Amino acid sequence: MNGSDPRLIKPVLASVLTVLLLSLPWLTSDYFVMMTIRIMYFGLLTMSLCYLAGELGLVSLMQAAFFGIAGYFVAILQTRYSLPFPIPPLAGIGVAVLAAGLFGLLAIKAKGVYFLMLTLVLGQLVWALASQWASMTKGDSGITGIYAPVLFGFSAEKSKTVFYFFQLFAFSGVVWFLAALKRSPFGLMLRGVRDSETRMAMLGYPVMLLRYLAFIFAALVAAVGGVFFAYFTGLINPHSVSLTANVEALMASILGGINTLFGAVLGTGILKTLDVVLSGVTERYVLVMGVMFLVIIMFAPKGIAGSARQIWEAYKGKMLSFLALGNKTAKP
Amino acid sequence: MAKGKFAVLLTAVMFFATVGTVSAVDEIRVGTIGPTTGWATIFGEGALQGVKLALAERDYKFNGIPIKLFSEDTKADVEVMVTKLGSLKNRDKVHFIIGPSLGHEGMAAVDWGARNPDTPMLIGYSAPEDITMRKATYSVVRPGWTGAQVIFNFGQYCAKDLGYKKIIIVGQDYSYPWDQAAGFIRGFLENGGEEVLRIWHPVEAVDFSSIMARLASLSGEYDAVLNNSGGAQVVAFFKQWKQFGLDKKYPQILGQANVPIVSMLPELGDQALGVYSSLHYYDGNPSKANQKFREDFKKAYGHYPDVIAMQGYDAMRVAFKAMEALNGKVDDPKAFVEAVRKVKMSNAESPRGPFYFDSFGNPIQNIYIKKVVKKDGKLMNIAVKTYENVSQFGPYANMAQKYMAGPATTRDYPPGKKAEYFAEIEKWFGKDYVKNLKKNGGWK
Repeated sequence: MNGSDPRLIKPVLASVLTVLLLSLPWLTSDYFVMMTIRIMYFGLLTMSLCYLAGELGLVSLMQAAFFGIAGYFVAILQTRYSLPFPIPPLAGIGVAVLAAGLFGLLAIKAKGVYFLMLTLVLGQLVWALASQWASMTKGDSGITGIYAPVLFGFSAEKSKTVFYFFQLFAFSGVVWFLAALKRSPFGLMLRGVRDSETRMAMLGYPVMLLRYLAFIFAALVAAVGGVFFAYFTGLINPHSVSLTANVEALMASILGGINTLFGAVLGTGILKTLDVVLSGVTERYVLVMGVMFLVIIMFAPKGIAGSARQIWEAYKGKMLSFLALGNKTAKP
Repeated sequence: MAKGKFAVLLTAVMFFATVGTVSAVDEIRVGTIGPTTGWATIFGEGALQGVKLALAERDYKFNGIPIKLFSEDTKADVEVMVTKLGSLKNRDKVHFIIGPSLGHEGMAAVDWGARNPDTPMLIGYSAPEDITMRKATYSVVRPGWTGAQVIFNFGQYCAKDLGYKKIIIVGQDYSYPWDQAAGFIRGFLENGGEEVLRIWHPVEAVDFSSIMARLASLSGEYDAVLNNSGGAQVVAFFKQWKQFGLDKKYPQILGQANVPIVSMLPELGDQALGVYSSLHYYDGNPSKANQKFREDFKKAYGHYPDVIAMQGYDAMRVAFKAMEALNGKVDDPKAFVEAVRKVKMSNAESPRGPFYFDSFGNPIQNIYIKKVVKKDGKLMNIAVKTYENVSQFGPYANMAQKYMAGPATTRDYPPGKKAEYFAEIEKWFGKDYVKNLKKNGGWK
């Protein structure tokens, strides 16, 4: 069979990726694993933002709030009430989803810049609560002393590898969930709403309900990220629910490509890696990143993933025939 | 064939790598961490400059062993900081870390320190008391200060020496000013003060007109106002203070520890004259160590240092003293921390004056009540009173456990009214404590 059959590319890529991800702790250093873990939890936050932007066409400024609510609940339930493992993260995600249910009622009717402003206000509300309700959240000092759980006898606190697999499992689950959601009838209806709300309403679809549900799903994704953030860093403070955290996720999604889940992870990966690598090289690393960001916005407005896709679409035929040619010459 | 060569090479590399770690230290690796970009740059940059000055004094060498400095930026974000602490430890393999400088960073750093006890850490400017109290961990030592430590005695001074009975505190609404207010209230109310009213404003606020109007209407009832903010908010407050004519209604502004620091004085100008505050360092200290530090710093960076730089400088000098005790063997983290904790700095060694560490790793040091005066045409702080050997527990040094068992400070805890406050301390410190307080008319 010809190795360059276009139908085979996806499964081959997927299985290579799976093998790589599963063997990562043994292929690379502890440091690399740590970076991957960070990219995964921030990636979830970015994905939550990208999901709303891609499926609803709405940019939210309060996804970090859901991220933080889950993190705070893990922190408070574990350090203050010493509840055993599955309760704090499940409660955290549950409360974040409930909060989304509540805030969604207010925010979801607005569109465009009004949605932006409403989510900004609601996000700041959560931030103010985290910063001011000091008897519960310890104010700006933040809550420390959060420890990752022991799973089937393996401590995720002591071993980065265990933590990595714990998170990879949840991360893959969320990615699968979002991808399935996108392909489902629900996803199709949602895209209909995004492209022409009036037409969908006229056809009898519950437009508001669809948007409301999408908002809650997005919050769920961010909340899962928040749980792992709290577990991995061992602390949480108002910065994680702040506007800055949300804007960083927005930057990552613009960098990677705001319409795709892959772009979200890619953008987060690039941003977080550059942050650490560049800062070791030069003190002016923020400037370098700023210039890079400017270049991307100007020349690749769809982000890196979007541009890569465009290039792929344009040269797909040529590349495939090139690959096929390569295969033929390689044969004896 | 190629595989064989590779294996030989690999073994050789691994062999030399192990030999390298077994032999004595041939390079001392120091990490620093703090915000060197973003809104808090002044804190991270200041501490780093102090560290560099102390290193330059010794030509970046200790007994001929070269010292390499690795500095990382936190952007004032603790998640970034924790990641970079990991980089310093795993990638750069530093022997110890100096930093960080902000309150929330310090709390996160001590949490990291508890999980990484093999990397000694000397906290920079970070001031929350829990770093060296409820969360204290052996490998983390703070050659710095706690917010309350430097202000307990200022409350006492305002009540006893200035004779004030009722004071208003205006400050930014977050943890650090809350801690300052709490320390002040304890000193003030336990020594004869009657009431402290706290007015909080949003951290970024620069328009204080409504607060000024309120202060004006309260001026008949209260004796003085203490400004409990930092940075641009202080400058704006002082300006509007004069615009609203409050300088004629109150004797002067009192300041929290950070208000009249060196970097702030030129911005405040003559409005700062007469401002009282308290700290463990004052720039007008005539000691030889301080004069040398100030002049050397000015030569290196073009401006006079403030307490932030002083603390970076002191942290590195404490590390040097520990290295001397160990003869440069910094690769044993446990021995290094032990040596650091035993360091005693004399008046001739530290610009702030003598200090040594308590069992929690925080200095016992002099606290100076400062006043801004003009000397040779320049504004500076002089000390009007010195309280010697003050610990982080202040007057509660012999009842540290009781102090730590009490509730955490919030925006309105401890209570600011005398009766409520005394009911509260009776609950936590006991009846005898209150009885003694009343008998002695305050702290001894």
